[in-house]
Parts: sequence; C-alpha cells; structure tokens
Amino acid sequence: MIMLYFLILPLLAACLAPLLKPRAATYLTTLFFMLPFFAILYCIFYGSAEIHLTTFSPPIGEIYLTADFISHAFGLTICIVSAMVALFALPYMRHRFEEMELSVEGEFRKYIFLYDLYAASMLWLVYSGNLILLYIFLEIALITAFLLIYFYGYGNRRWVGQLYLIWSLIAGVLTLAGFLLIGINNDTLALKGITTVGMLAWAFIFVGMVIELPVLGPHVWLPWAHAEAPTPVSALLSPLTVGLAGYVLLRIALIDYSFIVSYRNYILAYALFSSIYAGFSVFKQTDFKRLLAYSTVSQMGYMLVALCLGPFGFIGLVIQYMSHAFGKSILFSSAGGIIAVHHGLRDVRQMGGLHDSIPAISNAAVVGFLNLGGILTVGMLGEFFILRGVIETFGISTGSLSILLAVILMFILSVWYGFYTIRQVFYGKPKDTKRLEISRYLYVPLFIIGITSVLLLLPPLSTALIPGLKSVIWPLMGMGGVVP
Amino acid sequence: MNEWLVFLLLFLAPVISSVPIVLAYKSEKWTAKLPPLSVFGIFVSVVMSLYILLVLPEDQQYSYAWIPEFGINFVFMCDYLSRYMGVITAVIAFFIAVYGLDYMKGDYRPSWYWFFYNLFTASMLVVVYSDNLFLLFVGWEGLGAASWGLIGHWFRDDDDITYVGREGRKAGPLVLHWPPSFGGWRAISTIRFGDVPMFLAIAAIWALSPTLNISEIEWGSLFGTIGAAGTIILLLCLLMGLFTKSAQVPFSEWLMTAMTGPTTVSALLHSATMVAAGAFVFIKLTWYIEPWTLHGVHGLEYVYLLVLFVGLLSGLYGALAGSGMLERKVLLAASTMSSIGLMFASAAASFWVGHLAVLVAFWYMAVHAFAKASLFLVSGHLIHATHSRFLCGGLEFGKKMITPFIVTIVATTFLVGIPPLTAYWVKSGMDEVMEHLFHEVGFLPLILLVLTSVVYAGIMAKFLSLNFIKGEKPHHEHTEGGGLMKLGYVLMVSVLFVLIYLIFTSEETAEFVHAGYAPVSFAVGFAVLIAYVVALSKPRISALTKLGTFFNDRMYLPVVNDYIMPKIGFFVSHLVQDYGNRGIDGFFNTKVIPGLFGGISRGIRTIQTGYLTRYINIVLGLVMFILIVVVVGGWWL
Repeated sequence: MIMLYFLILPLLAACLAPLLKPRAATYLTTLFFMLPFFAILYCIFYGSAEIHLTTFSPPIGEIYLTADFISHAFGLTICIVSAMVALFALPYMRHRFEEMELSVEGEFRKYIFLYDLYAASMLWLVYSGNLILLYIFLEIALITAFLLIYFYGYGNRRWVGQLYLIWSLIAGVLTLAGFLLIGINNDTLALKGITTVGMLAWAFIFVGMVIELPVLGPHVWLPWAHAEAPTPVSALLSPLTVGLAGYVLLRIALIDYSFIVSYRNYILAYALFSSIYAGFSVFKQTDFKRLLAYSTVSQMGYMLVALCLGPFGFIGLVIQYMSHAFGKSILFSSAGGIIAVHHGLRDVRQMGGLHDSIPAISNAAVVGFLNLGGILTVGMLGEFFILRGVIETFGISTGSLSILLAVILMFILSVWYGFYTIRQVFYGKPKDTKRLEISRYLYVPLFIIGITSVLLLLPPLSTALIPGLKSVIWPLMGMGGVVP
Repeated sequence: MNEWLVFLLLFLAPVISSVPIVLAYKSEKWTAKLPPLSVFGIFVSVVMSLYILLVLPEDQQYSYAWIPEFGINFVFMCDYLSRYMGVITAVIAFFIAVYGLDYMKGDYRPSWYWFFYNLFTASMLVVVYSDNLFLLFVGWEGLGAASWGLIGHWFRDDDDITYVGREGRKAGPLVLHWPPSFGGWRAISTIRFGDVPMFLAIAAIWALSPTLNISEIEWGSLFGTIGAAGTIILLLCLLMGLFTKSAQVPFSEWLMTAMTGPTTVSALLHSATMVAAGAFVFIKLTWYIEPWTLHGVHGLEYVYLLVLFVGLLSGLYGALAGSGMLERKVLLAASTMSSIGLMFASAAASFWVGHLAVLVAFWYMAVHAFAKASLFLVSGHLIHATHSRFLCGGLEFGKKMITPFIVTIVATTFLVGIPPLTAYWVKSGMDEVMEHLFHEVGFLPLILLVLTSVVYAGIMAKFLSLNFIKGEKPHHEHTEGGGLMKLGYVLMVSVLFVLIYLIFTSEETAEFVHAGYAPVSFAVGFAVLIAYVVALSKPRISALTKLGTFFNDRMYLPVVNDYIMPKIGFFVSHLVQDYGNRGIDGFFNTKVIPGLFGGISRGIRTIQTGYLTRYINIVLGLVMFILIVVVVGGWWL
C-alpha cells in the first residue's frame, strides 16, 4: 500500500510545482520522482503486493495497480529519467523562454505542470492493472506532450504538434477498439482477469501500437516531433513514451501469444527491415535531433524483434526499453546542451571538434551511445537476451542463417552510426579550443543516468531484477521455473 | 587473504584509482599531480596477479553470484594460461604506465588518457581470468571501448605527428593519410563488426549448453547437437570476434590506423591487450575444447584449417607490409599482426598436433609481448627525441641515445628467433609443429612460417638499422631527459632474460625446448640470422622502391575499409534517405494525403456558394436522380 502513496507523489508534484518559483519547482519535481524511484528499488529487493483501487461493473472490472517486476523495471526507468531531465530542463527552458520572449516565471508554471503531468501519467500507465486505466493515462501523456510541443517547440511547432496529435490519436483509437473487444469477450478489462485476446482485438492493438512505437511506415511523425519538440520533451518523448507501446504489446503478448506466433516471420522481417532501414537513415541526417529520432526508430525495431522471440525476447524487450531510455535521454539532453551553449546549433555539418568547448557534454554523449550500442551498460544484457531468444526460436543452422545475419547487422548499425556521429559532432579540428563555462545542470544529471545504467548491469541490481522478470514471464508463458 | 578481495582489487584498483583524475579534469594543477595514483592502481593489480600466480593453487575456480538463475556469474579460473597471462598483462601495463608518466606529461587531456588506460588494463585482466563467457565478453567490450578512447585520444587532429600515412599521399581514390579521430572510429567500427557475431555465438552456447563456464562446457556434445553446419556457423561467428580484435586479414586495417594513438597505447595494445586478446581467447578456448580429441566431430576440421591459414597468411602479409614501411610505429604494427597470425596458426595446428601446439603459441605470445612492448616504448622515445614518426637517426644519433639503442638490439634479436636467444626456442617449437602437419596439410604451413620468419627478421633489423645506424640524420634532436621512459623500457626488455630462464626450467616448456636442437630448427634459425644481418647492413634497397611502395600501402587493402565499405554504406543511406524517407514523408505529411484532403475540402467548398439557387438546383437534381433510379428500378423488376 505504501507504494500507492509513492506513486501519488508525482501527481502531487504536478499540482504543487506550478505554485513555486522555477528552481524550487524543479527541485520538488526531482524529489517527487526520485522518492518513487527508491521505493521501486526497495520493491525489487523485498517484493510488493498489487494495490486494489476500486471495482466497476463488467466489462470494466477491477481497477488496480500491478506490482510485478515488469512494471517495476519500466517504472524505475521513467522515474529516474523524468527526475534527471527535469533538472536538465531548468537552465534549458529558461533559455528557451527568454528566446521566445516570454515571461520566465509565468511560463515555467505552465510548463512544469504539463511536464509533471506528462511524466506522472507515464509512470501510472505502467502500473495500471486495467486496460481502461492504461488507456486514460496513455491519452493524458499524449495530450500533455502535444501541448508542450505546441507551446514551446521549434520551427513550425504548431503543425508538428498537430501531426503528432493526429498520428497518436489514430494509434490511441485503434488500441481502444482492441481493448473494448477484449472487454466484451472477457467481461473484464483487468489484466489479471483477461484470458483470451481475439485475433481482431490483437490486430487493432498491434496496428495501433506499431504506429505509436513506431516502425517504418507510420514512423513519419516521429522525426518531426522529436526534432521540433523542446529538448526536455524530446528527452521524455523518445526514451519513455514511444517505448511504452512496446510495454502494451508485451502485456497483451503475455496474456495471449497466439497472434505473434501466427505471424511471427512477417512481423520479425518487418521489424528487422525497419530497424536496419532507420539505422542507415541516421547517417544522412543533418539535424542532430532528427538524427537521434531516426536512431529511436531503429532502436524501437529491437523491441519489436524482441517481442517475436518468446520469453527470452521478452526479458530482452524490457531491458532494451531501459537501456534505450537511458541512452536516448542522455543523447537528447546533450543535443539540448549544444543548443543551449552554442546558440541553437543543431546542424551536424557545422559541428565538429565540439569536445574542446564542452567536454562534459561530449563525454555524456559517448555514454549515451554506449548505452544504445549495448557496451558496458545494461544494454548488454538486453542484447544478450534478444540474441538468446533468436537462437531459442530459430536455432543455429543454415536455415536460420539469414535471420541471424539480419539481427547481427541490426546490432552492429547502432554502434556504427553512434561512433560515426560522435566523430562528426565532437571530434576533429575544433573551431574554438576555448572551454566554455556551462551550467552543471546541463551535464551532471546525464552522468547520473549513465551511472544508473552501468549499475543496473552489475549486482546487486541485475541479480534481483532479471530473476524477477523471469518470475513474471515464465509462468505466464507456461514454462516452469527450472533453470535452463 | 580472501580470494574475493584479491579479485576485487585486481579488477577495480585500476579503475577506482583513475576516478580522482577524472573528477579533477578541470584543474591543471591536479591533473598534473594525480597520474601516479593511477599508476599505483595498476601496481596493485600487479601485486594481486603475482599473488594469484605464487600463492593460489593452480586450476582452481572461484565463483561469485551475478545472475545465477541464468548461469551468468563472476567465475574466475586460475589455470596455467591465465595465471601467467595475468602477470604478463599487469606487469606490462605497469611498466608502460611508468613510462607514460614521462611520455604523457603536458598532454591536453590527461584525465581521459588515464581513465581509459586503466580501464583498458582492467578489461584485459577480466578477459584473462574469467571463465564465464558473458563475463569475458564484458571485459572484451571494455577493451573495445577503451581502445576507441585511446586511439582517438588526440581528437583535435591538429598535429601531423599524430597521423598515420604521408601527408598528401594518394593512390587512386584513396587518401593514404589518416587522423586520430578517424583511427578511433575505424577501430571501434571494425571491432564491432566482429563483436556482435561473437556475442551471438556466446548466446548460442548459452542456449545449447547448461553452463557458460569455458572449463565446464561439454564441447563435444555441444557440437554434436548442432551438427556440422551449426558447428561451423557457431565457430565462425566466434572467430569473427577474435579475428577483428586481433587484426587478422582482412580486418587488419584498423590496427595500422590505430597508430594515431599515443605510443604508450600502441605498446599496450600490441603486447598484452587487445590484439593479443583475440589470440589469447583462441588459445584458451582451444585449451578447453581439446580439438585433438574431437576428430569425430564433423566440421571442426574445416574451422581449424581456416584459422591455420588465416593466421599464416596474416603472418606473411604483416611481415611483407612491414618490409615496405618507413613509419616507426606502423612498421611495428604490421610486425605485430604478423606475430599474432603465427600464434593463431600455431594454436590451430593443435587440431592435428595436440596440446604442444597450444603451449608453443602461448609462450610465443609471452616473448612477443615483452619484446614488442619494449620496441614500441623505444620508438615513442625516439618520436619525442626527433619529432618525427618516420624512421630516422644515424650512428651519431645512436651514440647519443645509447640506452634505447641497446634495448632495441636486445629486443629485436631476442624476438626474431636467432639461436640461442629467447624466441629461438619457441620458434623451434613452432617449426616442429608445422613440420608435423606434413601428413594432413602438406608442407605449405612450414614454408609460409619460414618465409614469414625470414621477412620478419629483416624488418626488425631494418627498424634497428634505420633508427640507430644507417638512417638519415634527424632534423631535430632532443636527446636529454626521459629518465622514466628509459626506466620503462629497460625494465620491459630485461624480462626477456627472465623468460629464457623460465623456458629452460619450467616443466611444460620442456616439451618444445628440445626442438631447438633439431637440425631443421637450426637451419631456420640460421636463415633468420642471415636475413637479420643482411637487412642490418642494407636496410633500404632502392631497386625495389616500387615493390616497397606497394607493401607500404599495405597492398591496397585499405580499399576495403576506405572505399568499398563506405561506398556501399552511403549508397544504402542515400537510398533510404533520399527516396525512402522523402517518399514516405511526401506521401503522409507534405504531398499526397494532405493534397487529397485539400482537394476534397476545396471540392466541398466550391459546391457551397451560399446562393439559394445552388441549393435548389442540388435538391432538384437529387429528386430527378431518385426518380430515374425508381423508374429504372421498376422497369428492371
């Protein structure tokens, strides 16, 4: 029950923070997201029970908060990233408001309310035990993000905001249709009560969430939204929000895996193609934030690949979400750092040698790309489980060779575009070797995220988390707890 | 002392001791003061590795829980290989670190250098001692990341002395001049190309075997379950990681451009870490796979045959390329590639020859490590002294630099296999191994080995001659100072004397030492000596300039990395960006769908003019239409 109070804190922050001055509001936000972070850590080690909220008549059923390790893993990520990005946003948004010639204090109230509500709704989404509750938080997150882009974005922000809103609404409506079908068939929308998911319902949810994820095709909104959103919003939108589609798909797959099994090869081929395609797109981008957006599409391909690979893939999916969230929040924030320090510089062609003026941000970006590539960070475990899933599903023989090679290429590409970008942006002949004095808010939070990512790879965190994920996934997939 | 504490200190001391200098990165005062602390961290590792060698029992496994449910644990194996290799790694890293205190003085980002240097050492120690394949891979990735950081250390690309290749030199579309930031990028991109397949292979072993511990995996039954094709795919994936890391053909280019890093890094990279890591892991795996007992497994023979010839070809390629080179460090890099190739070949020969071949490969690695590290450290000192990365310095210069002169003489003669110096005994073992292959593979391996050895001796003698005896007079001479640098390489080279003692006294090496008395070995040793003397007296042959240029350009192998791969990659990128993304964007966001909606909207608006007559017309039209439908429908029915 204590967990409930900790989860209420971020919602409380949304109400309280607008009453305070920018600095105090930021601290409050950080505190109110860090407290649940530690509460979740506690739950990972000592366990927690689900929390009953209320019960409605069918087909809605029981509304409750889940407390399993999947929710904890996602919740943990959302808390730390939201808290740290809030800190980063303090100097950044001030700078942005001044640039837009708005009153800093007044606008900050509006902004921090939306930001807190946005982050809190994502946190509640992953703890929702009922699909209707989940859908409500999905929509709140969508609308708050839309408003943030609409008010404070760059370039043609109103058009981009609408683009994002329309695509996400299509995704949301399709998903809702799927949810309702599930409700009608099962007489409940409580996750623990659902026994079957019809093919039609699955198809609706799958298409909806694939738009939200997004993969190639419906990914059109993402580069625009990520590039033109104010950077702290990009740093939540890309790492946290889009991956939540993977969370929804995982939850549904854990109830009924038949849809994925029936169309496994098609989905896998699509996901691999999408990931590799987006990976190649990264090389040609000239806008740093848009470059990162394409990398998101590529990384989300990993998640869809993982979804096709059975229980090991599921563990890989969860870890991949965490790893990508850490990496991408660091990277978007470092892009924001460059924008703030170098007066709106976003064009990669005009960068080069930036390490000299902003070494701390440059090093943070390295940590970010190490996360994406799965080098010495929690992403390593994610890749390892996905690769194991590939072997478990397809075996190692001449017949599975093409799939193995495609997966290998997919993983290689992240490191290639990552380190290629680092060289383009930060290394090479510097234009100016003077080191700039920059606010600590712009880089210290990024290193905290990076350290969290490394710690999650090591005991005791991974020792508790990974078997925990197994304890949720294995029974649902009809597998015993036997050590493989 | 508790064993867990030993391992904790062994791996963490270097990393933790370099944290203060990282935190103090803004203060020039502190970054100048703190490097000795980082060196101390490596010293702790040296002590611990010696403790493991001298105190802990052999073949003992130590296991600590990580994710035990999935068989991922901290498992350390103190077997014959890792006990020695651990000491070699730590000692070499320590000597180089001491040298680095002098060499890196006044550098523009010391925090970066010391952090990655120590991470590099710690990662290699993890690779050496770990028995668990996942843990090994963590160390492996640490090597990759750290080497990227160190090779691209001088990221500003502003000083030609940090480049590789000659300025302005071009061959067709290739620009043969590479900056440090490019060297770093090429290193990590090549390595990652092999690492992911290797990770897949480890995941496959994880799925197919009940354990991930190298010493406990039942290799025979593992290969049996996946059949010949599966075995070949699995091992090829694994070998991709080893070949890229060890810069075997055709993945050797990154090693040459890796010479853009500080010399200390090159020394460590080439002796005990990174390139040695690939060969070491192959030796270790072969040690436990025991392929000579698995002749019944289909497919295994092809894999070992492949490794044998990739190794031998890399050996010859490296030696030949080195023979045309005039850059100090790149010449040594090519020779390293050659040596590592011989290690691979020798270890692969174990499939037919047995345990002995692995032992020979391992001891060659040990001798090579100390000799090559000494040579690199000397060339670093020479680069400081002459301000040139090209071979230069005559006898006059040699007399002023008497310590490095002597060290180079010792290191080269001990390394090339001149009887009766250290490497001779190991090389004889290698001759014997290759000779044994006659029945299964023929004489080709032995011929390749002898050719390689002879050319190798030539390039080492050339290095000595052009630096100290017959080279051009340097434009710049700065021969004073460098006390710690001298200390570094004198200590390093003196280990070669310890090794010759060890080779003659240890029980295991007795198996191949006797080969040194065989007439074949002696003949090879003599040929090597001749090549050495000839190259010493005539280091440059002007008649062969064209051939030398061809070798110096590494037989145009850079074309793969610099031309073919980027061309393909950017072509695909161009396709997806300029056609794919633009097309999709145009369809959904800017052209087709918005146009469609715009058209419909315009159409509806043109109907609605607001005049009453228009609406009456529409209503009348509809009525007429319904009437027609009704009439036609009625008539039809």
